Order: sequence, then C-alpha cells, then structure tokens
Amino acid sequence: MKKGLRWKVILTALVIVFALIFAYPPKDKIELGLDLKGGMHLVLQVVTDDALNYETDQAIMRLGEQLKKKDIEHKAITKSTISNFSVQEINLEQEGQIKELLDDYFRDWDYSIIGRTVSLSLKPNIARYYRDQSVNQAQETIRNRVDELGLTEPTIQRQGLTTGSDRIIVELPGVENPERVKSILKTTALLEWKLVKAGPAPDRETLLADFGGKVPEDQQVIRGAPRRTEGGYYLVTQVAPVTGKDLRDARPSIDEWNNPAVLFSFNADGARRFAKLTSENLNKPLGIILDGKIQEVATIEDRISDSGVLRGKFTQEQAEDISLVLRAGALPASIKYLEERTIGPSLGADSIRQGLTAIFMALILIMVFMVIYYRLSGFNAVIALILNIIILMGTLAYFKAVLTLPGIAGIILTIGMAVDANVLVFERIREELSSGKGIFSSITSGFSRAFKTILDANVTTIIAAIFLFQFGTGPIKGFAVTLIIGITASMFTAVFVSHLIFDLFHSKRKKRDELSI
Amino acid sequence: MQIFKKPDFNFMKYKLFAFGLSGIIIIGGIINITKGKGMNYGIDFAGGSMGRVLLKNEIPTDEVRKLLSDIGLEKSRIQEIGASKREYLIRSLQTLEKSQEEEIEAHEIIGNKVIEALRLQEDRAAFEKGLKDLNTVDERELTFILEASFPEEASAIAHNILSFRISEGIIQDYAQLQQERGISQEIINTLEEKTFLGSLAVLSKETVGPQVGHDLRRKATQAVIWALIGMLIYIGIRFKLAYGVAAILTLAHDVLITLGIFSLTNREINLPVIAAMLTIVGYSLNDTIVIFVRVRDNLRILRKHDFERILDTSINQTLSRTVITSGTTFLTVFALYLFGGEVINDFAFTIIIGVITGTYSSIYQSCPLLYYWNKIFKPKKGMAK
Repeated sequence: MKKGLRWKVILTALVIVFALIFAYPPKDKIELGLDLKGGMHLVLQVVTDDALNYETDQAIMRLGEQLKKKDIEHKAITKSTISNFSVQEINLEQEGQIKELLDDYFRDWDYSIIGRTVSLSLKPNIARYYRDQSVNQAQETIRNRVDELGLTEPTIQRQGLTTGSDRIIVELPGVENPERVKSILKTTALLEWKLVKAGPAPDRETLLADFGGKVPEDQQVIRGAPRRTEGGYYLVTQVAPVTGKDLRDARPSIDEWNNPAVLFSFNADGARRFAKLTSENLNKPLGIILDGKIQEVATIEDRISDSGVLRGKFTQEQAEDISLVLRAGALPASIKYLEERTIGPSLGADSIRQGLTAIFMALILIMVFMVIYYRLSGFNAVIALILNIIILMGTLAYFKAVLTLPGIAGIILTIGMAVDANVLVFERIREELSSGKGIFSSITSGFSRAFKTILDANVTTIIAAIFLFQFGTGPIKGFAVTLIIGITASMFTAVFVSHLIFDLFHSKRKKRDELSI
Repeated sequence: MQIFKKPDFNFMKYKLFAFGLSGIIIIGGIINITKGKGMNYGIDFAGGSMGRVLLKNEIPTDEVRKLLSDIGLEKSRIQEIGASKREYLIRSLQTLEKSQEEEIEAHEIIGNKVIEALRLQEDRAAFEKGLKDLNTVDERELTFILEASFPEEASAIAHNILSFRISEGIIQDYAQLQQERGISQEIINTLEEKTFLGSLAVLSKETVGPQVGHDLRRKATQAVIWALIGMLIYIGIRFKLAYGVAAILTLAHDVLITLGIFSLTNREINLPVIAAMLTIVGYSLNDTIVIFVRVRDNLRILRKHDFERILDTSINQTLSRTVITSGTTFLTVFALYLFGGEVINDFAFTIIIGVITGTYSSIYQSCPLLYYWNKIFKPKKGMAK
C-alpha cells in the first residue's frame, strides 16, 4: 500500500470506530425527542405584571406606615397603574420631610411633586429586574414541583437567549397523567392567613351594608372556595401576617372526622408570628386563603404556634397535590399556558416503528438502484452511504442531540441527497472516460472537478438548514440537526472515502485495469 | 447502464412556454389564496386544539360527526387514520367568543369536550360506580389496585399490562391480556371486578394559543426570508450577482407553486410543512447550482458559442445527474410518504412536490432567467466570472 493511502485508511478506520463506540447500542445512546418517546411539551408565560403589582402594593403599605409614623399629613394613597402610585393632598410645608423620607427609603422609585400630589413610579431598570426575577423564581418553583412529582429527566428552561423573555418551556418525558401535572404546575399556591372581619355574605352589597357600602381601609373583599364555602363573600384584612413562605413542611393527612386534610408546620420565624397573631386575636375568626379563595374559616380558640391543619373538603388526591405545591413553594406570579403538546407513549412507539421502516425501505431502494446503475462502483456508493449513517448516528450520540420524528425525515432526506455526491462524481468519471482518458486519471479528475460542485451545492443546503435551526422549535430543530450532520458527513464519505476505495483498487501503474461503472 | 447516452435536447426552445405554465399555476394559486379558499393553517399557526384518539370499538366517521354535533361541535375536521374506523384525528374549528387571554383555555375546553363526546355512556356508569379505567390508569395506581390481592407481584403485573397497552394503544378485551401476556385468570377476575375498559385512549393532544401561533408564523416567514438572503449572498460571491438573482427567483417560484398547490388541495400548513418548504429551497438550489457550475465552466471552454447554446449544453451535460438524483431523492421521500405514518405525511407530500418542481425549475426557470438577464442587461464582461 502506498504511504499516502495508508494514513487515509487509518483515518477512515478511526472515524468508523469512534462513531461505532459513540452510537452503540443505539437504543441507549441516541436520545429521543418527546414526539418519539412520549411526553409533554408546555410553553408557559409568567404574568410578570403580578410581580410588579405585588411590589407596588408593598411600597404603598410601607409608605403609609412611614407617613403615619412621621406624622406627615396626607389623604389617600392611590395606585394608578401596576408600577405607579400617588399620595394625595400633602401639606406643602412638610415637603422637605417627604423628600427626605423618599430619598432614604424609596430609592427604587422615581418621584415628582406637582401641586399637592406626590407621584411615584418604579424605576424602569428596577421594574425590569423584578420582572426578570419573577421569571427566574417561577422557573425554580416549577423545577421544585416537577422534582416533587418524581418525573425523570425534565427540561425546564427559559425560552430564547434574551433575558427579557417571560416564557418558560417545560418538557416532561413519560408523563402518565397530563391533566394532573398541568394543574399542579399552574397553581400559584399562595397560602395566606388573614383575619376575617365579616362574612360570609351572599353578595358584595350585603357584606358591605354595615360599612356604609365601602370597603374599609386596610381591608379587602374576597370569595370563598366554591367547594368549601359555596362561594360566599368575605371581608378580610389586606395584609397577611403569615403566608406559605413561612411553612417548613406540608403533608397530606386526615382530620378528626377522617376527611383528607393537609397538615402543615411553620418555620421558627413563621411560628413566632403565628403565635403573636393568634394570641392577640383570641376568639376572632381567622381565614386560610389559598390563591385568593378562602378555604376555611376557624375561630381562634388558643394560641397556636408551630403547626396546624388545613381542611377544605378535599379528596385524597387534592390533599396530596396541595401539600406538594405548598412544599415546593408558591409562584411569584401567576402562569398562563401558551402551548401544550402531549404525545402518548404508544403513538411515539408507532412513530419509531414507521420511521425505521421508512429508513430501511429508502436505503434498500437506493442501494438496489445504485448497484444496478453503476455496477461495482455502485457498491462503492453503498459503502459510503452506510458509513454516512454510522457517522450521523455517532455524531448525534456524541453531541447528545435529540432525535425527533422530523429528525428521522432528515435522515431519510440525507440518504437521498448523500448519493447525489456519488452521482455527481460518477457522472464526471464517465464523461472523462468517454473523452478517452485513462481510468486512474479519469477517477482523479472526476473527483476533483465534481468536488467544487458538491461543495457549492452542499453549503447552500446547509445555509437553509442553519436558518431552520435558528428559528425552529423542538422537533424542527431535530430535522435541521440531522440534515446538517448528514450533509457534512456525506462530504467525507462520498468524496474522501469513495475516492479512497477507488484508489485501493486502481493505481497509475496498473497495466490491465478495468473500471466497473 | 445509462439513461442518456449523449443527450442533446433543445431545452431553451420552450422557455416562454415554461414561463407561461409556471405563471398560470402561480397566479392561479395566488388568486385562490387571496380570493378563493385561502390558506388552510394548522393549529401551529392558527391556534386551536387537535386530538388523536383510538377507540375500543369501531365507530364510523358519520357517527363520530354526529356525536360531535350533538354537543354543538359540528364545525370539526374529522380525519380517519387508516381504515380501521377506530382511529381519528379531530380538530375542532369552533370559535368561542372570548378574549385572546382566555382563548387557549377555550381551545382546551373544546378539546376536552371532543374527547368526552366520544366516550360511551357505559364508561360514565362504570366511573360512577368507582371503577378505574384500565385504559387510562397509570402504573402507580394499577399497582395499588392489584396490591390488595397480589401483594408480591403487583408491580410486575401492572408493568406487564401497561407495556401491552402501550404497544396496542388500547386494550379491547380482558382476554387479550391472557392470550398475549399470559396474565392468569385469577388476576383477570380481580381486574374485571375493580376496573373497566374505557372506550377510548387519547394518543396525542395539542393545544396552541393565539400568541404562539402568531409567533410561529412570524418566525417561519423570517426563516424563509433569511435563508433566501443567505443563499443570495453565497451565490453572489461564488458566481455573479446575475446567478444569485436567477437562483433566488427560481426558489421563490418553487415556494409559490408549493403554497399554491397547498391552497388548491386544501392541505394544512403546519410547522413540519414549513420545514419541508425550506428543505425544498435547499434541494432546488442544489440542482440549480450544479447546472450553474457547468455554465460557468462552459463559458470558459466554449467561448465561441452564443449564451443560449451554452445554457443548453450545460443542461444536457448535467441531465443524467439531475434525473438520477431527483429519482433517488424521490424514491426516499416516497418511502417516507408511504411508510412514515400519518404524522409525517404532510411533510413527505411537500417534499415530493418540491422534488418535482425543483427539478423542473432548475432547468426551465433558472436558465431562461439567466438568458434574459444577459439579453436585457448585456453585461460588459459577459456572464463569466
């Protein structure tokens, strides 16, 4: 064997061996997409407005307290938008004091004083930060919940690379009960304890009759959960002294009447505040509120500190799910579903079977055609084609790229287009032969002349595939990936390896030579 | 073996005829898209919900339609899969008067209603009695059910039963479990006592909200346009501007014809179809470039010939390759169309159209376009680079 050929053979052998090591056995090494193994794909949107709303409410509360403490005169504090609020009718003589207060304690807010009104608005960069944080926290919470559910190999990521995105993509392989998972992920799970001032009443008007038809300051009207309280109206305090954040643990359990309930315990800080709340409000009704709906109202009979029971006419499953979301933590903002795709495992198995059949049929058709049309040289192309698929599989496994159903289509298309390189070369060789050149020089110039065409043609296809990858989602990306890898590999197999095979059988010095093409 | 010994067809003679033919198809398509049936967008782009169900017992399409219209969902597209009368792809076209915010939930509600409509009365009766549906139950729950009577093997049996359900899609009869998986009569008795066989299994369910649909449409358009620009630049550098422009017009021709055919045949445009369309763009360009490379070479070799003659020679020299590659690609995609299954069917159909139009256009559009560019602009340095 010539020296030049030897290293080419070694290189080719190495590539094959590595591809085989990476890809064998394919069942374990090739990662399948959700459309093939079954599972759930969700696109969620975090309503980041909620987070700003919350910050603004907190700021209004804090400012109210501070103004009271410093005896600064004012009328109402009103919220105008999610990140703007204003203090009405201040005493202009106290303007200096107000400015000092705002400069010291409200650095996140821009303020202006026009007439006797102070307007505050959240600084844009701070608002952006809160929005961004709320998406991060939501992602974290969702991850906790997925972990609690015991689902394996989940993917939870923010959509897009830009930080401004408020979307989260959740991919969960092998989900057996999609509806349950969806409702668990979506629950805000904001648990609050608030004192009940009045209620239940059948409607708002009746509820507020004793208060002159207006909601008293520091208080709000909320509804009861339909399951538990037949949906009446309640008047409760605006501020929740204790919330789900103060929980240490929550477990499903049963109450004294053998109904499913949730048993919870507070952490040290929460226990201290809960003890204070209960001891100061003995014999008053206390409401437990989950996601803005009253679950239970109980009269405080004793000072309670570290644990309690949440009853709400739950089923066993609901008690389990509520404990789960309470353990995993509340979402900082509510969540909307934008897209949901669920593929059952049996459809995935079907798709794999059909995809493989299609690949084998395509391979056989092409191989038969190439051998009939180009005879022994056709075998050369067949070897290149098989190598191409081995390298494609090895590369997929090495980069842990996901194989999807469109990805299988990409492989099939690659098969069709990979032989194109062989066809281009073989047709060139035939032309060179018919113009009277010798076999060896026909092969050499056939390859070198066809290569320019192959390169130009493949680069343009790869350009199209790159844009597909850039803009595509899940399954489509899988298609772009197999197409890019397959076409790149075809430059190696159909040009380099094919040429090598010809060179091994034909040389310049051979006198009696025949080319079967 | 050789298809063409020494081909010498006069392709350029039919250039006006080809322009006319393509023009008619494209204009027909555009009229149909704008004034006629329009585009049939799938849920990826239009939003909505689509479910694929497998029924335990046969229900003919008419009956399915009737069940749906009974609950006010007469505007549904029902597609039977295979000829088993047991598998259907159902997309509801009902629109609810809801704000955009709530639209996805509305879609979901409709999707769930479709599934409920196909459930039989006996399912509900069994469910009321507290029986579990063996066709939807998960492994944990099934293990729990079996544990009472078979504490030792419960999880193994549950796994066995569910893997059978996955391979079949739905369990039609308890006897199947006995025959196919060797489940003992004793276990079957327990199952019959505590479970029932639900009348349908949901194979897949997709719900896409209007925002995502809008986003996807924008992204798809961007992908096509940027891909075209990227190719224009590449060809402009490797050849000349004239070649780039001719190639891009040829590709636009392919995309328009495919869209037109989709509109005329009322096939659904979904994400895989867009992927297929970009593949066609890549494939057709592949074809075009092979011919252009020959033209570039021949402009050097056959200096004396006029441009039209050079174009014809180049097409003839590459004709074998064009036909063989189109043939092999066609074969593979046809295999995909036949064996690839319902999910990939639209994709395969698109590429089949693409292979045909791509082959035709690289001969009958790209070369005539070069010819007219040369005739109209009369570049000083000629068409060679």
